[in-house]
Amino acid sequence: MTTSEAVEAMVEVMSPYIGSTMARSATEAHCQKLGIAGGSVSPEQVERLLGKLGGGLNIFLGRDKSASVMADVRRALAAREGPR
Amino acid sequence: MSENRGPRVLPWVVLGTTVALYLGWAMAPASDLYARLMRPHRLVALAAVLKLAYLLAGSVFAFGCRDRLEAGNPARPAWFFLSLGLLSTFVGQLCLAPFQVVRNETPFPSVADIYFLLSYPFIIAALVVLLHAYREAGFPIGSIGERAAIVVGVGVIAALVVLPILRPVALTGGPLLERILTVAYPVLDLLLLVPLALLLRIALRLRGSHAGDVWVLLLGGFVVLCMADIFFAYFQSLGEAHLDPFVHASFLLSYGLIAGGAHRQLQLLKT
Repeated sequence: MTTSEAVEAMVEVMSPYIGSTMARSATEAHCQKLGIAGGSVSPEQVERLLGKLGGGLNIFLGRDKSASVMADVRRALAAREGPR
Repeated sequence: MSENRGPRVLPWVVLGTTVALYLGWAMAPASDLYARLMRPHRLVALAAVLKLAYLLAGSVFAFGCRDRLEAGNPARPAWFFLSLGLLSTFVGQLCLAPFQVVRNETPFPSVADIYFLLSYPFIIAALVVLLHAYREAGFPIGSIGERAAIVVGVGVIAALVVLPILRPVALTGGPLLERILTVAYPVLDLLLLVPLALLLRIALRLRGSHAGDVWVLLLGGFVVLCMADIFFAYFQSLGEAHLDPFVHASFLLSYGLIAGGAHRQLQLLKT
C-alpha cells in the first residue's frame, strides 16, 4: 500500500472524531517522526503509526473507543488492499 | 432514519431564551413584561437558581468525563480539575443564592468570593493539563516561537483593551478589599485567556468534528466568562446597577456553554 493511500484511509476514519484537518496533521506529523516517507508503507510501519494515533485519540475518546476507531482504520486499510 | 433531536435541542432553547430574557431586561426594563410579570427580584432569583443548575450540571458532567477515562489517561486530571473548578464556583453561587432569592441582594465582597477565586487555579490547571496532554500525544500545538507569539498577542490585546477598562475600576473610591476583588477577577481571566488562546489553535483544527463541538462550547463558555467578569468589575465599581442584566446574561451563557461542552464530551465518551 502506498503511504498516501494509508494516510487517506486513516484521515477518513478519524475525521468525524477529530476533524479532517487535525487527523491529517497528526497523521503526517507521526509519519515524519516514525520516518515513514516515500512511496510505500510496510505493515509494521502501519501498526506503529496506528499505535501513535490511537494513543492521541485516547485523550479525546478514551481507551476503548479509541481502540474501536483504530479497528475501523484497520478495516478501512484492509478494504483498500483487498481488491488487489 | 430520522433522529429525534428534541431532547438535544431543548437545553439550548432554554439557554437561548433565558439569555434573551435578561438582555431584554437590560434593553427594555420598562416594558410590560418586566414591569408586571418578570420583576427584578424574580429575575435575580431565577438567575441564581439557573446558575446553580448549570454549574452543578457542568461539575457532574466533567466528573463523569474523568470517571469514563481510564486511569493514566493524560486528559483525566484535566476533567477532574474542571469539575472542581465548577464545583467551587457552584459553592460560591450557593453562598449568594439565599441573599438573591430572599432579599434581592448580591453582597460583595462576601464569603462567596473565596470560592469564586478558588475556582480559577482549578480551571487554569485543567486547561494547562489538556495542553500538555495534546503536546505529549503529538498533536500540533505549535512551535515554541508560535506559542510565545500567541502569549505575547494575548498580553498586547489585554493591555490595549482590558487595562483601559480596569483603570477607572481601580481608581474608584471604595473599600480596599472590594477594589482588589473587582480587579482580581478580570486579571485572573487574563491568565485564563493564555491557555485558552493556545487551545484555540487546536480547537480550530478540530472544527467540524465531535471533539471540535466540545471545544467550541468550552472555549466559548470561558471567553464569555472573561467578558462577564469584566462587565461585573466595570458595572460594580461604577455603580451602573441598571446594567446588571448583562452580567446575569453573560454568566448564564458562560455556565450554560461550559456545562454543554462537558455534556458533549461525556456523550462522546459514552457512545
